[in-house]
Amino acid sequence: MARWFLRGLRRGVVTTRYPHRPDPEAARVPTPPAFDPARLTGALADQLVAVCPSGALERRGDTLVLDVGACTACQRCLPVAGAAGRPSGVFECAATDRDRLRVAIPIRGQHR
Amino acid sequence: MTAPRDGAPQPAPLGALRAAVPTAPCRSGGPGVVAVALSGDQMETAVHALALSGGARLADLFALPAGDGLEAGGPELALHLVYALDHDQTYCRLEAPVTGPEYARLSDAAPAAFVEECEIYEQWGIRPAGDKHLNRIFLSPLAAAPLRTAAPVTRRARPGPGEVRAPHVVQGEAFEFPVGPVRGVAQESLYLGLVTTGEELLDAFLAFFHKHRGVEQQLRGRSPDGALFLVERTEGPGAVGNGLAFARAVEAATGMVPPVAAEATRLVALELERLYNHAAATAALCQATGLGVGQAQAEILLEECLRLNAAAFGHRYLFNVVAVGGVRRGCDAAELRRRLPVLCGELRRVSGALLATNSHVDRLEAAGVLSEAAARRLGLVGPVARASGLDLDTRRDHPTGPGPAGRLLVPTRSTGDVLGRLQVMLAEIDETERLITDWLAADAVLPAVAVAVAPVPGSEPGTGVREGLGWAESSRGESLAFVRLGPDGRVVAARQRPAAARNWRAFDDALRSRNVFTDVAIIEASFWLTVAGYAR
Amino acid sequence: MTRLLTPSPSDPAVAPTADQLRAQVGRLFGRSLYIRTVDTGSCAACESEIRLLAAPHYDLHRLGFFFTPAPRHADLLMVTGPGTTGMAHALRATHAAMPDPKVVVAVGACALGGVYRQADDLTHGGVTGLLPVDVLIPGCPPSPLALLQGLLVAVGRLAERIEPARFRIEGAEAP
Repeated sequence: MARWFLRGLRRGVVTTRYPHRPDPEAARVPTPPAFDPARLTGALADQLVAVCPSGALERRGDTLVLDVGACTACQRCLPVAGAAGRPSGVFECAATDRDRLRVAIPIRGQHR
Repeated sequence: MTAPRDGAPQPAPLGALRAAVPTAPCRSGGPGVVAVALSGDQMETAVHALALSGGARLADLFALPAGDGLEAGGPELALHLVYALDHDQTYCRLEAPVTGPEYARLSDAAPAAFVEECEIYEQWGIRPAGDKHLNRIFLSPLAAAPLRTAAPVTRRARPGPGEVRAPHVVQGEAFEFPVGPVRGVAQESLYLGLVTTGEELLDAFLAFFHKHRGVEQQLRGRSPDGALFLVERTEGPGAVGNGLAFARAVEAATGMVPPVAAEATRLVALELERLYNHAAATAALCQATGLGVGQAQAEILLEECLRLNAAAFGHRYLFNVVAVGGVRRGCDAAELRRRLPVLCGELRRVSGALLATNSHVDRLEAAGVLSEAAARRLGLVGPVARASGLDLDTRRDHPTGPGPAGRLLVPTRSTGDVLGRLQVMLAEIDETERLITDWLAADAVLPAVAVAVAPVPGSEPGTGVREGLGWAESSRGESLAFVRLGPDGRVVAARQRPAAARNWRAFDDALRSRNVFTDVAIIEASFWLTVAGYAR
Repeated sequence: MTRLLTPSPSDPAVAPTADQLRAQVGRLFGRSLYIRTVDTGSCAACESEIRLLAAPHYDLHRLGFFFTPAPRHADLLMVTGPGTTGMAHALRATHAAMPDPKVVVAVGACALGGVYRQADDLTHGGVTGLLPVDVLIPGCPPSPLALLQGLLVAVGRLAERIEPARFRIEGAEAP
């Protein structure tokens, strides 16, 4: 057992300093998408809704509602969105209210 | 191995099958698959012929509506039997229509079929002939809600409340100790009824229905890509193995051939999945034997494996890597080249130290023994089968694409105990490292940073129903998938058979092999199965 | 049933008391919180990430969180999976066995209604309809860091960071 004790000591500390310091590994995990309202057209929004396998996107009139709670960050929407979307980079998504996870993204592109 | 790999041009089990049912039409069911259409009364003859031939392993059994008959009134059903002819690089898929409420009992000739017979009864209401008691597999006796499955056709037979499992007597000094379904912290829900006298385990009853989600029904009507999304989330730590099997099933149905670079990328992901699962099993074994520092060391390596996955493929559990006809993400080969040798070296050092720690090894030796006969009878796969002496590996026996055919080393042990399973897994880590290193070195199949996903097949008007069988050697063993696509390219019916669905059926056998109460956690860690893969 | 972390009522007569109570309970839980987990049909990836919270890289003990197998010792219930009908009874029984005050955390997209979207006879399509959920942690699976943040939010030691603006790309040049 002493051997294991030494082995443990030799390995050193690997523990993250999060939440006191940001953790570099956080950048590696997939995150929900972010969309650019100015580039988002109605037709594009409908395509995004159709491609989402987890029902995280919904069209409500002139807004696209992104449900961060239902989103699995599978990123199937990003190739469809092209310049109108990118990973948000937000991994700290915890919320105390289900509705706070529903993000309204105005569809401004359709007026142009 | 009993039968020679080379020999007669007609593979022995297939020859025996053709001799037994000479009138049954036999056609190709895609690369490496033979499909045989049987009549209802030929099925029993065929099963007996294959059982006697040796070299045919019943890999799966399921029932689906015959043809594309999906009329709501109650479709004609057909039984599908998938035999793996491991010496002949062939899967043999038998299809036989079932008329009436009963079919010939298959589990007498092929004992591995019993679980599926129970499953088919719950799903479709047809049962094997005779009065054999069927166990409850998927439907919870507590779920009394009316049937509202999204699936258009399931004739779920709601078994009576008494029909949860075969009647049994626990008597004398023994009592049944209930564990679960809510078990230890962050363990999957599973009911274990451990029959014990206080120390020695006499018997065990397992119930999986708490976690049944009806994934196979949910797959119906989805596009192949949407179905793959759910297949990956059926069993998270088997996402690549099961996803690859499903993708290959769709590819077999549509005749798609993934680009060589994409196939190599998928295989790298599959090997990375094997790597982290084996590291996780090592950590779980240390936890079960109470070797705290060893557990911490193994968990550090597990986390490093997951971080390598995230660095190479963008997801810690390698979700969203496999796509139908290709890969969704490329692989960061530079990260792999840099980090894999270090990681595997560390893994070797820790596992070497573990195998030299007597207090650890003594708990593993002669615990949870599975004989070769039992493993063969129950149709086990993966490291569990290999530790019991079955020399099976679909990567070698059923090669696809640019795989490592012919030069793959398949480690086996004959002890069949927990230590044997650990040794097999550790030996596989070495083989995994060698395979990935070879792929990284070979310029021709160098995993591309991005391989375009081919368009989802069948979106153009096709011609009727297409079917395909797919397989992959996941970290837990052979994963199978069967898919039937409609004319619009959507999934009409699908079947998933992860390795966990196979290997859990040997768990109670392993528990009964003269173990004590505290061995349960050790044996469970050495199987390293998921409940999710069984109760899909 | 005590719901600690639900938004304070808008009634000005009650709101300050509710806020005060929440802060007090947060302080009580802040440095010693026992966690019980229940799986209601997850794919086992969430379980793997939760197990890794106790591993050296994340070491949640340093933050005063501990796992306990006994619901009667637990202050916080982490629920994964889409809420299978088979587990509904066991989930409610586990929740009922926990002493008040208690916190429920739903973990992962399945539990939040993402993967199994519709309730049928086998799943409830998420756990939010089964129990009063106080904190929701999205992700498929949520990484251990996301889980840590959710736990710290649950005891009031970290603020929620979910802001709609972060999912909108504003100020980009119009096409």
